[in-house]
Amino acid sequence: MIEKGKISSFQMALIMYAVVVATAILYIPFITAQQAKRDLWLSPLWAALSGFLIVLIITKLYKLYPKKTLVEYSELILGRTFGKIIGFIFLFFLLYDTAIAFREYGEFVESAFLHKTPIVVVTGGIALTCAFAVHGGIEVLGRSATVFLPIVLVLYVMIYLFLIPDLNVKNIFPIMEDGWIPSVKGSLAPHAWLSQFSLLSFLLPLLSDETKAMKWSILSVIVSVLTMVYINLGNIFLFGGIITNTQFPVFQAARYISIGSFFEHVESIVIAVWVLGGFVQLSAFFYMLVLGTSQWLKLPSYKPIILPFGFLIILFSIWSASSFQEMIHSMGTTTPFYFISIQLLIPMLLLCVAVFRKKLRQAK
Amino acid sequence: MNYFKHKKNKGYRFPSQQITETLSKLPNIPINLDLNQNIELLKSAYTDCSDVVFREFTIGARTKAALIYIDGLSNTQEIDQQVLMPLVQLESFDPGTSIENVSKKLAVSDVLVIHTITDVIKQISIGNPVILINNKIKGISIGLPKWEKRGIEDPVAESVIRGPREGFVETLRVNTSLLRRKIRHPALKMKQMTIGKFTETQVIIAYIDGIASNTLIKEVTNRLERIEIDGILESGYIEEMIEDDPFSPFPQVLSTERPDVAASSLLEGRVVILIDGTPFTLIAPCTFASLLQAPEDYYNRFLISTFIRWLRYLFFFIALLAPSAYVAILTYHQEMVPASLLLTIAQSREQIPFPALIEAFIMEITFEALREAGIRLPKQVGAAVSIVGALVIGQAATTAGLVSSAMVMVVAITGVASFLLPRYAAGIAIRMLRFPIMILSGILGLLGVMLGIIAIVVHLCTIRSFGVPYLNSMAPLKIHNLKDVLIRAPWWAMNTLPESSSTELGNLHRQPHDQKPDPSKGGD
Repeated sequence: MIEKGKISSFQMALIMYAVVVATAILYIPFITAQQAKRDLWLSPLWAALSGFLIVLIITKLYKLYPKKTLVEYSELILGRTFGKIIGFIFLFFLLYDTAIAFREYGEFVESAFLHKTPIVVVTGGIALTCAFAVHGGIEVLGRSATVFLPIVLVLYVMIYLFLIPDLNVKNIFPIMEDGWIPSVKGSLAPHAWLSQFSLLSFLLPLLSDETKAMKWSILSVIVSVLTMVYINLGNIFLFGGIITNTQFPVFQAARYISIGSFFEHVESIVIAVWVLGGFVQLSAFFYMLVLGTSQWLKLPSYKPIILPFGFLIILFSIWSASSFQEMIHSMGTTTPFYFISIQLLIPMLLLCVAVFRKKLRQAK
Repeated sequence: MNYFKHKKNKGYRFPSQQITETLSKLPNIPINLDLNQNIELLKSAYTDCSDVVFREFTIGARTKAALIYIDGLSNTQEIDQQVLMPLVQLESFDPGTSIENVSKKLAVSDVLVIHTITDVIKQISIGNPVILINNKIKGISIGLPKWEKRGIEDPVAESVIRGPREGFVETLRVNTSLLRRKIRHPALKMKQMTIGKFTETQVIIAYIDGIASNTLIKEVTNRLERIEIDGILESGYIEEMIEDDPFSPFPQVLSTERPDVAASSLLEGRVVILIDGTPFTLIAPCTFASLLQAPEDYYNRFLISTFIRWLRYLFFFIALLAPSAYVAILTYHQEMVPASLLLTIAQSREQIPFPALIEAFIMEITFEALREAGIRLPKQVGAAVSIVGALVIGQAATTAGLVSSAMVMVVAITGVASFLLPRYAAGIAIRMLRFPIMILSGILGLLGVMLGIIAIVVHLCTIRSFGVPYLNSMAPLKIHNLKDVLIRAPWWAMNTLPESSSTELGNLHRQPHDQKPDPSKGGD
């Protein structure tokens, strides 16, 4: 095995939580609000379905092919040529996914502060830091997740606790004014985000306590969904109808915080702490990408390809969208289909073939 | 010298000739029957050593004997009374008496029979006088070492309000006795070894059998045995030779000069390394949390200790981040400062020619320089430095318009904060890391500060100390161990040992569970 380190299921759950939620809380409220309007808090609940489905598929596949990642068992299931092709498609998608995550992070920091700094400096800086962590291996990722995520979680909760005087609960009424269709339409983006649980496949072989894997993965999905619901609820309480026009509602919400007229304008601190979660997410993506690639190429170690891939990610993050508006637009329209088709359909296909093959073998 | 040359041709060599070998690796030359030859041999080894004394005398008027010792290392008064006197005054001496019987006549508790010239040299060098007798192929080493030593004093670098006032000294035996006085159980083991080609420094590995894990003891022993160096003058030599990541700014082996700290580490299943010639002992493994634990935490009542510990954590972050946060906020995030405060700061910065980053750098470096000067200078001059320092850092710099008064405040708080860290080595690490973070904050604002913090945490996640993750009990998370990290649990709740050390033996119980004091348990 390329990676010798081990993590606990708890650490895996934390990493997956960061992978989904870190950027989700920035973009999900705005994108879901476009379709779902004031029912945006229902959308993540629909999306939970794809989260659970993927966790089930991936753990089932893992049971059939223990100690193997998706890149490795796709070759075993589909044969060498097709397996390699599927592996490449998945890895190429992962590269794009990672790059988009870096871009999302960069765009957010740009628009929040550092308006004049070139985006490459911002993404490059975090890419270097991530490369440092990826170099340390999965144990370092797991441990830094245990250090950082509690802080980030407390922050998420605190933002809206501090805003309690400004929250107006009546904003969510009437619930499902136009039926449940708008909230389902709005759930497209959360579906895409939660489909990233397919990346679980890269972490499962690294667990020290596999028996708890299922429990913690499901828990991770539930907490991710609840966080999205919480953030969306908080935003609809705070902003009401104007939510559809607020690009980074969580960040805007932080601006409202004012305690004793001394403790105000804390949005910079909010971003600074959010960066911790962003870091765990980006380095997890980065790690899975280099690990998957070295498994696909059958390299003895992933360490030599960390920096080249860092470059590639930064390049892709620039290429992935020509402007911020375009990126946001595609995230609400085309990107979810891309995400779901790769991350849900490929594992599904693999599982079907694998089960079929197993049946065939038993029939013989 | 004939004998010597003769022997040399045969391949025997001596310390003065073959200085590349350690004493223990010297060829074992047996003690010769002829006393004169033995003395010749030893004298050739100790050529030009004016401090070595060869005292020849006769036992029972006829049998020739010699007493050899190093002047100043042995207790001559005792030797005269207890060794020379009985032997010289002996009326008759049967030449056939075995050496063991001779040694029984000596009124000294520590007597050892030795067989080789190499042993003779070894015994002399640690201060044990040796008696060689003619026609005997054995010698007697007498345990009467004595040299000038410092008395036990209050440890200077780790002082406490409440707690034992004794500190380790330079003499190894005194230090082991201090430990043994605290832990009397025979399970306290002290393995001895010698390191250093010339210094022949005695090093003791102390641990409690059954609490410290065997792998840890083996690992420590292996790492110590690997050391090949000409001399050990301080525990720092050994620390650098055995640590896991030599390039980390964080200490991976703790050092202490307090016997109570060493004893408590032993009770937690760690290994203590005592080194002759220095009051500083090493404790392994070391975790990040233990850098922030002061000995007094465990002597004060737990509520107060917990509060002080949190205060320390807070000031740890201030020591690390205050200047960089100041730079970042003033350069990039002015909106965070409340308007009235911003006006005051702007006013004081009006005439300052430097940007905040340069200002912070100048002040921090001046402060570090003053602190370093304060340690090095003789006491008489030290006062002058502190007056000049106070003036330079405080008043003069502000009135001259070089730095703003707000910056002086920040530097002062940072300085105070770095003194709150109970471990000096950790304090240095924090002082050093402050500067790169300041540069990052000057480039990227708060984002840069966060990148710096992330890099430090990732580094802390990477390093290990003797197989124990540095951030143990925080990451990987171990809820039970947080009782001595997040808070200082009361002693009646410290039921288990920290897992860090006793991994292979499971989570050992320290005491029964029902120790909480309660009036109903009082009996009346």
